[in-house]
Amino acid sequence: MWWIVGVVAVVVLIATYITWTAARVDRLHARALAAQLALDAHLVRRAAAATELAETLERPELQALARAARDALPEERELAENDLTRALRALPRPRNSPDLSDVVVASRRVALGRQVHNDLVRDALALRRRRLVRLLGLTRKHPQPRYFDVDDPILDEITVG
Amino acid sequence: MRIGIVCPYSFHTPGGVQNHVRDLAESLIQLGHSVSVLAPADEDEPRPAYVVPAGRAVPVRYNGSVARLAFGPISAARVRRWLSTGRFDVLHVHEPTTPSLSMLAVIYSRAPVVATFHTAMTRSRALVAAQGLLQLVLEKITARIAVSDLARRVQVEHLDGGGWEIPNGVAVSRFAEAEPLPGWPGEAGTVGFLGRFTEPRKGFPILLDAYRQVAARRPGLRLLVAGPGDLADLGEAAPAGTTFLGKVSEEDKARMLRSVDVYVAPNTHGESFGMILTEAMAAGAAVVASDLDAFRRVLDGGRAGELFPVGDAAALAGTLDRLLDDPARRAELAGRARQVVASFDWPVVAERVLEVYTTAIEATGGVVADLDEPPRAGSLG
Repeated sequence: MWWIVGVVAVVVLIATYITWTAARVDRLHARALAAQLALDAHLVRRAAAATELAETLERPELQALARAARDALPEERELAENDLTRALRALPRPRNSPDLSDVVVASRRVALGRQVHNDLVRDALALRRRRLVRLLGLTRKHPQPRYFDVDDPILDEITVG
Repeated sequence: MRIGIVCPYSFHTPGGVQNHVRDLAESLIQLGHSVSVLAPADEDEPRPAYVVPAGRAVPVRYNGSVARLAFGPISAARVRRWLSTGRFDVLHVHEPTTPSLSMLAVIYSRAPVVATFHTAMTRSRALVAAQGLLQLVLEKITARIAVSDLARRVQVEHLDGGGWEIPNGVAVSRFAEAEPLPGWPGEAGTVGFLGRFTEPRKGFPILLDAYRQVAARRPGLRLLVAGPGDLADLGEAAPAGTTFLGKVSEEDKARMLRSVDVYVAPNTHGESFGMILTEAMAAGAAVVASDLDAFRRVLDGGRAGELFPVGDAAALAGTLDRLLDDPARRAELAGRARQVVASFDWPVVAERVLEVYTTAIEATGGVVADLDEPPRAGSLG
């Protein structure tokens, strides 16, 4: 009789573990997605700040790059953002220029958002690689999260002195 | 913003993490946020109004040192009560990878979690054994802050994650406005040192050597030393003109740094950030430091303080001679140092931390991202 109890207990344990793992898969993918949306919002904000700066400084080429970054298709997004970063870095920067502060802050927020996003993507990808997760196809309803792979968008801190 | 901060160590014993949490909490309150700090403490222990006691901490041996921690069912219950009454927009824990209040709070939090890693802790055997369980804790953290480049690199190597570097803050006004000790720095010049002078990597013997050379040429020069330990342990007699204060309180530390003309950091290696340099800079001392990466960075490549080749007592003596003769140069260095240290001032640093809070809240969609019940405390054993 005891072996039946044993088998039932083992089955319950396994089922609990699978249910819990499935919830964990959902949770980590939801986190990665939410972080991606937040990062997206900051990229748009940076493009807007760059557009405004381009208007102030009368630099149409910067304006074009900001628009290109904003309108880029997902597969071209990273390249377009890198182009914008390079253009912003190349700007002649008088120290403590008030025009620049919006772009500097927006760039820092992009960098921070990307850091958080990539950390959460890493967690999700690590879980996707688990044998149990692959075997049971627990990730079927979730597209694979991707790292957002761009150059560090941080502009030099405007140092004092 | 409603902010919950967890300090894993008791405020009863002084320490870097505790000071950091206190200064951060006070700066955030000054900026108009609602802050509650959970820390191990007895109910009847005197404490600041924003600290919520989580019961007594027990000493635990960990990684070769003794940490006072609170971890167990009673602590867990208090953490849950604190979290549910606090209804925080964001939870900020410190050192969450040791079994502590911080880890418990991460496990039970329904708010986005920001974690600060202070120590450049390498992977311990206990950590490896618990890697699977630790991963469950780390998975609940949305944003990670490292207080130094070294702490950040350790995270990348050992905890598979990045980290956003925000340096330790300095309460600039507390140092800038401190009253010098009576009778200091005096007319003939004072050189200062603060720290564990018996530790070889602090390089105190190099300063003693240089000081002897300089003092031979400058009658009346004085050396002001503070730090835990006993001068007798040095194995050599302290030179004439040395005043030893012993271990000093935070308040006396500021007064001591205000009492010197030149502050010397003769470290031979180590120092991940150089907290003491920023404090000396805030106090308005001219700083002379060995040419280590961390020091060079804090001293703006040598513009906010003089650098000398690591371990070179003769070079240090030369620099001291020059500076003691040249009040204008000292004032120039102190002026630049004041500008540099402004970016380490707590209100500025607290704004940077707030950016991380906002990012963490946004990255979780502004709402709770945890769909299921957290594991019970028992499962973490």
